[in-house]
Amino acid sequence: MIPLLTTTGLGFSYPGVPVIATLDLEVGRGEWVACVGPSGCGKSTLLGLLAGHLRPTRGTVVRAGTSRTIYQDGGLFPWLTVAANVGLGVPRTVDQATRARRVRDWLALSGLAEFADHYPHQLSGGMRQRAELGRALVADTDMLLLDEPFSALDYQTRIGMRRELASALAPRDCAVVLVTHDIEEAVQLADRIVVLGPRPAAIRRVLHLPPGRPRSPTTPGVAAATQAILEELGLS
Amino acid sequence: MARLYRADVGLRRARHPDPWHDASVPNRTSLAPVWRWLLPFAVGAALIAVWAAASATDQFPRGTVPAPAAVARAFAVELRSGRLFDDVVASLYRVGFGFVGACLVGVPLGLVLARVAVARAALLPWINFFRTLSPIAWIPFAILWFGIGDPPAIFLIFLATLFQITLATVGAAASVPRVYYRVADDLGLRGAAVWFEITLPAILPQLMVALRIAVGVAWMVVVAAEMIAVRSGLGYLIIDARNGLRMDLVVVGMIVIGAIGIGLDALFARLARTPMMRWGHER
Repeated sequence: MIPLLTTTGLGFSYPGVPVIATLDLEVGRGEWVACVGPSGCGKSTLLGLLAGHLRPTRGTVVRAGTSRTIYQDGGLFPWLTVAANVGLGVPRTVDQATRARRVRDWLALSGLAEFADHYPHQLSGGMRQRAELGRALVADTDMLLLDEPFSALDYQTRIGMRRELASALAPRDCAVVLVTHDIEEAVQLADRIVVLGPRPAAIRRVLHLPPGRPRSPTTPGVAAATQAILEELGLS
Repeated sequence: MARLYRADVGLRRARHPDPWHDASVPNRTSLAPVWRWLLPFAVGAALIAVWAAASATDQFPRGTVPAPAAVARAFAVELRSGRLFDDVVASLYRVGFGFVGACLVGVPLGLVLARVAVARAALLPWINFFRTLSPIAWIPFAILWFGIGDPPAIFLIFLATLFQITLATVGAAASVPRVYYRVADDLGLRGAAVWFEITLPAILPQLMVALRIAVGVAWMVVVAAEMIAVRSGLGYLIIDARNGLRMDLVVVGMIVIGAIGIGLDALFARLARTPMMRWGHER
């Protein structure tokens, strides 16, 4: 199977500050990969490289399909309504009627139908993330890149959003790369967890988890994976 | 608006009739509309009463401050003759042309400066240099270059607001969160689409505040501009009345200028409350 995302010898430095040492990674279709690491280790920089917003200073990133990114710091455009924000996700080549129908369908699916004409600042944090997820998924995206997508939400909403994300992506074979500092989130959602060391980031360990998501803490393998990550991060 | 409270987490039911009202935010304690109208009129009435009483008891040196009744009479005469209306139109025309011209040049220039480091390094010090020059200093050049009539007055208003608008645009564009551009890139927006669909709407609330201030400056400058080289407008009305020692007419001109200034400010305040812009003040 041809991977959707391949990084080979990937490295990145800001002038005088090495951020990513060397990183080799492959993500296949339908696979969920989480990258966890200590704060400031370069996780968001890594996602910027994978999304193509940053140019590697060493090595290559090859993407074989379309990708969308969901950011931790609110990527919805505040001057557009929820419907208009989601509508931006539909490719411009799609005609107006189809675009409107797809937006309507997605808003109904995500429980935002009656907030279609609201602006992002009029919504709760969870609703904003659902709208952002809608904008990313309203098109047939091959790969979803998530940069700490639920870190700004309260604990209960975060749990709910993980379920929603898993069920929204269940019928698709979309690849997901999740960059997070939340170990619980990583072990609940990812098939594979890449543990990064402190800056300059390099892979310290790769963990594989059993199928099914979101996993409960009692799922076999989850507790062991959590413990292994904590050990790698020196938090055990 | 009521439908907002039907469902979902994180939305609170407000007791205040305005669903977005938040009394915990300083300066957001709103007054009933009737008071928002009544209070300024009450202050105005009090000022006029003090002015009338001082005039009636000869508190001002003779000929320096006209009585309110004289001003009212002069106002009525000017209004009936149509001269006041013509002067208002002439002044608004000059302000309109000068201000819109400054927007058309200043906003794109500010966007370019915000985006292109070389242009910023080369031009920003000069914009600051010219910004600090009083428009009045340009009067001799304005007359030499444009002769008499509307063009020198429009030029002065243009100059008075151009640099302010340019700098405000640079500041607003520089503060657009980077994440918007990353999302735009993800969504396939390129070139002009990024300018028109991301940068411009993102800077609008901040820009509108700057334009609101700039239009006030333009309105102030029109008076100075009309004191030269034109024979119409509210500035000319004032200077002509002063030359004829008609202080009642001078006050009429001042009152009309102030009233139109309030009107222009209210217009921009209303624009800032349109959905396209109010997000900037309610986040």
